Amino acid sequence: MSKLGNKVMSMDDALKCIPQTGATILMGGFVGASEPTCCINWLIEHNISNIKLITNEPGMNGFGRAMLYKNKLVREIISSHVGTTEESTAEYLDGNLKIEQYYPMGTLIEKIRAGAMGLGGVLVPVGVGILDEDGLFELDEPKQVINVGGMDCFVEAAIRAPISIIKAWRADEIGNLEFRYTGLNCNATYAMAGDYTIAEVEEIVPVGTIPPERVGCAAPFINAVVQGLSIEEHDELYRQHWLKIGKLQQED
Amino acid sequence: MNARELIARRVAKEFEDGQLVNLGFGMPTQASNYLPEGVSLMFHGENGVVGVGPKPTASQACADMTNAGSEPVTLVNGAAIMDLATSLGAMRSGLLDVTVLGALEVDQQGNVANWAAKRSGKWWPGMGGAMELCYGTEKVIVCLMQADKKGNSKILKKCSLPLTGKKCVKIIVTDKAVYEVGDNQLILKEHAPGVTLEEITNLTDADFTVAADFHEMQV
Repeated sequence: MSKLGNKVMSMDDALKCIPQTGATILMGGFVGASEPTCCINWLIEHNISNIKLITNEPGMNGFGRAMLYKNKLVREIISSHVGTTEESTAEYLDGNLKIEQYYPMGTLIEKIRAGAMGLGGVLVPVGVGILDEDGLFELDEPKQVINVGGMDCFVEAAIRAPISIIKAWRADEIGNLEFRYTGLNCNATYAMAGDYTIAEVEEIVPVGTIPPERVGCAAPFINAVVQGLSIEEHDELYRQHWLKIGKLQQED
Repeated sequence: MNARELIARRVAKEFEDGQLVNLGFGMPTQASNYLPEGVSLMFHGENGVVGVGPKPTASQACADMTNAGSEPVTLVNGAAIMDLATSLGAMRSGLLDVTVLGALEVDQQGNVANWAAKRSGKWWPGMGGAMELCYGTEKVIVCLMQADKKGNSKILKKCSLPLTGKKCVKIIVTDKAVYEVGDNQLILKEHAPGVTLEEITNLTDADFTVAADFHEMQV
């Protein structure tokens, strides 16, 4: 398909390219906020298993992508954290979920940004002398450190993935994306680091609706646009979850 | 006043007008409830916002307006959104004036450990963005209880857990005391109300000197 053709498709058409087992998937969102809720449900319904998930952190307790761990669909995460959900913690401690090493959040996002931008990797000073201590992580090769301009840095290889699934507020028909508030988080970067990127959105609008300067991720990076929850349904889903866990108080 | 409120109130005294501040979860976040009079700050959320505001009402809550703990927030006047790479880059490169973190251990060199403990023989749970905060922020404040439930000091000569940051901590606030980090030793500056120097000494593993102006915490 042309990079600038109409990319609006059904969930089934957009996601059918994901292998039944062993897929490597980048997934946008931040601790469960602004994540691709409907695509996650599709993965669960279709029992897509043995996933290697590249994710900023595992998500939010009892919600969204946490259900992937609960359903034992993820074999490995590449992440800054394993403990933001009880479901990922349980799988990790039971030995079902592998995490080879933890990356500082800023290191992980730069590795993925490097992948998106056609770089081989990045030089990161954070954690040198800490994360390369003997015995902290069991790695095939030790973490490489080089000195550049007087600064000791890890050589951190770029990350891309065959599939990226992200969430935006709205898309036009050719895949220009606009984000709402903190819904931007890592979604645009993750979108650009996928060979095949699916954007789940709350609203699909005609080309020309999103002002060019408000486009947070440009259409050529996107391969499929799927309709997720509406903005009202999305707000209500989170409102009810926050009320349930005491992060919001019921009004009279 | 319980210990956590005491710590949060004391931490808040460290803030100065016009600063950009990142608060970790738990006690650090509570410090935002006790800002000194005349001090106006901007709070940074590592998910990509400068200008995190108070919790909304249920009807105001927006699914795409959250803090780094995925809790609903509002945005203050003058707030700005940025993507995650920029947010973490700002943390690394020193844009934040103050960061307040909880910790498992802190030591007399100003090292802090807060991201990993062994569970079932594995390191858990991960650092998230805490290493960038320690790496890049000018003033790192650590707050924690003085001792664990068995009475073992968390204020150590040398941290035993994997570090979050090396030689980065400036101020330590506990339920018993306030320390500054000096040259390979701590400087005991303040005691909590009703806490004696002897009690603090018994609960401090680190080497420390007592400041000439050692006094009671003002909260």
